[in-house]
Amino acid sequence: MKKIQRRSALASLGMFSFGISSADFLVKEKTIRINDSHSIKKQTLKTDILVVGGGTAGVVAAIQAGRAGKKTILLENNSQLGGTTTTGGVAYPGIFFAWGQQVISGIGWELVQEAVALNDDTLPNFSIPHGKNHPRHQVRLNGPLYSLIIEEKCIEAGVHIRFYETPTKITFKNNSWTVETIGKGISTEIICNQLIDCTGNAYVTSLAGFELKRGEEVQPGSLMFELGGYDFDKLDLNLLRTRYQEEIKKGNLDNTEFRNNIVGLLKSQGDNISHVLGADSTTSELHTLANLKGRASLLRTLRFLRTLPGLEKTKLLDMQPETAVRETYRIAGHYEVTHEDYVTGKHFDDAVSYSYYPIDLHDEKGIIPKHLNEGIVPTVPLRALVPKNSRNLIVAGRCISSDRLANSALRVQASSMGMGQAAAAAAVLAHTHKTTPLEVPFQELRQLIEAHGGIVPPLA
Amino acid sequence: MKLKNLVQKSLFIFLGILYFSGNNPSGKIQYFGVPTLVAPVADTRYFILDFKDDIANDTLWQQISAEGYPLRYTRPIRTGVCFDNKCRPLDVTIHWNPTGRYLGFELPEKEFLSKYDHEPFTAEEYEQLHALLTDQFSPLGSFHYNEIVPQADSTYDKVDAVSGATSANVLEYVVEGAAFTTYKLWNITYGSSQQHVQQLTEKALTPALVQLLLESPDMQDKLWALNHINGFITPDATLRQTLLTYISEKEFTLAERAIKSLNSRDLTDKTLQLEFTKKIFPASYSLKKLLLQKLQEAPALQPEVVQLLRKNLSSFTGESLTTLLDLWAHHAIFDSETRTAVEQLRQHSNPFIAKKAEIFLQKSTRPTTQK
Repeated sequence: MKKIQRRSALASLGMFSFGISSADFLVKEKTIRINDSHSIKKQTLKTDILVVGGGTAGVVAAIQAGRAGKKTILLENNSQLGGTTTTGGVAYPGIFFAWGQQVISGIGWELVQEAVALNDDTLPNFSIPHGKNHPRHQVRLNGPLYSLIIEEKCIEAGVHIRFYETPTKITFKNNSWTVETIGKGISTEIICNQLIDCTGNAYVTSLAGFELKRGEEVQPGSLMFELGGYDFDKLDLNLLRTRYQEEIKKGNLDNTEFRNNIVGLLKSQGDNISHVLGADSTTSELHTLANLKGRASLLRTLRFLRTLPGLEKTKLLDMQPETAVRETYRIAGHYEVTHEDYVTGKHFDDAVSYSYYPIDLHDEKGIIPKHLNEGIVPTVPLRALVPKNSRNLIVAGRCISSDRLANSALRVQASSMGMGQAAAAAAVLAHTHKTTPLEVPFQELRQLIEAHGGIVPPLA
Repeated sequence: MKLKNLVQKSLFIFLGILYFSGNNPSGKIQYFGVPTLVAPVADTRYFILDFKDDIANDTLWQQISAEGYPLRYTRPIRTGVCFDNKCRPLDVTIHWNPTGRYLGFELPEKEFLSKYDHEPFTAEEYEQLHALLTDQFSPLGSFHYNEIVPQADSTYDKVDAVSGATSANVLEYVVEGAAFTTYKLWNITYGSSQQHVQQLTEKALTPALVQLLLESPDMQDKLWALNHINGFITPDATLRQTLLTYISEKEFTLAERAIKSLNSRDLTDKTLQLEFTKKIFPASYSLKKLLLQKLQEAPALQPEVVQLLRKNLSSFTGESLTTLLDLWAHHAIFDSETRTAVEQLRQHSNPFIAKKAEIFLQKSTRPTTQK
């Protein structure tokens, strides 16, 4: 068989037209032969900004950096972008509006709006009151469609996407980060001036050697799936409840797995009802465990459901490829957002975005959200996105420096999108001014975020 | 406009008292909210409909004004609510506004509602019921009756609650001791009856009626009206002007629906297109994009509009600049002035913007079909 040159093979796959060629970033490349038929490519790339984690915050950060004209690489260890919204299946980002006003806009909102339009969906009525109606403010998306749109937007912004790669070593030298990564058939060294940690688990911050925080207990994760094959209105719910409790007493089912609520499970058909206790996505090993636990629980419960009257033909129609995780590590930042800060809507002098969500701490019994008082809209200070003692490093998303209760609200998708845009804007200016995100001219930072549609809380 | 004046005069009265309540002079118990339209009833029509529910009565009454506008819909409900294997008839009339919004309920003379222990409702409980029925977002819409009364005999679906058995998470949404009555009335209010009400109003829609619906003080009425323009009626000049006033930062959802309510035919109006375009410059990022995208639906951009956009080119940043260039490319706006303006962007220090300009200019050199 004729040997195909790698470059021509990539060209035939259309890699260059998709903008995923690494040519613009390549410093050097060599091939390490493993045996007669296999080799590993070893590359050194150089970029202005590296975003690690292509989830809710990371996608927005990468697009912001690209649109601001910086050379940007986005590293994602999964097969698609979007994280919790797509791979996790929690495809209803919120909340963008508070008390009748939009509080989170910009790139994240643009992506959401495009996905809504292309699916002929209708945006919710954002004028309805908050409080117990807060789920009605979440925007339901077609998850797979959203993943296509955000991928296209990244490419349009000139972002170089690298799937299936994960960092193994991070060092800071001569005002630059060197991030070593490993992927399928490739080992890469990426040199960047600014590094944005959007892993959700503060994994980059950890590898770089900075302090992290974590509670003894973490919120459960959720495996999203879809059940069908039954008519909920025809079910004898009392009988089902009794049989469910009997099965739990026998030890065949665990009352924490579906919030001790078989009616909720059947009514939701699997939408955000599963609880996987201790779910952690920090390492492959831990995330594997969370996935195995979530799937085993679902299979066990599905078999049980099919023994019940009216549920004999219950089917598993769909299931997300992984258990979505709510809480792992948080950075120790220059400022820690507290529960008190959050529920009082403390206005920080260095606020770069808003966040709006009830205090939303899931536990083994379920969840009872604690709603914010009328008019309260919490803000996110830049200092909470920067690990203590670090330079040229910033985070966005749920690993923001915050106490556990504040984090239970800050972690949600719209807030993460707002943080992603703000963090990237800070990194862009840090690169331009040859400094670190915490030292960029704040007025310029505000202007850059606003120029790309973001909403920055007014100066106090 | 006669009806408009009536609406305005009546508004003071209705805002002064949020609802009529309690026993009226006829002795009937009745509770009403703010009506969408207020005008003398010129005629009453009835429609025999298939409601696909278990209520025996299949008639929906429609009160109309002299202009033929539907003012109110009414359905008498007679059904049974039972407990302890004994049933008490539920005899109540529900009223809807023309937009399908719940208006109120009334009971026949000497009739009253009672609870599980046959105790009549108190005045506070009637008020609570009225408030619960007003809440279109109540979780009662997604509860199964067995969730309302978990201990009820599950073979019998008309069982009212005993207070101790009502699910804790349901209590907030029902009158205590009358959970099933509340549940039943709420589901009738927001079930097939409401759909029939809306369908009948849709048949009567005219630009003048939509204009009146938009003047309702209720947000739900306004949204219903905005959602029933594009594809339902052709707005006249007055309505188009009203729609433009909704495109502001005061209320995003109203603005978003007002933009959606316009179609390509509306955008052929030179004045409207220009006024619509002027909304772009002060608009927020979210609305700016929606406005620019809507202009893509216009059969052609007016020269004044192109000029205005070109003059303000420097005010577009980030994605809004991309959307503007896409708009021009879509309408093949490749004249020399526009090309010159974009040429300058090609030299932009931000490579993202320079690239976007380059793409536009490449498109401008391709042969195009004039729109």
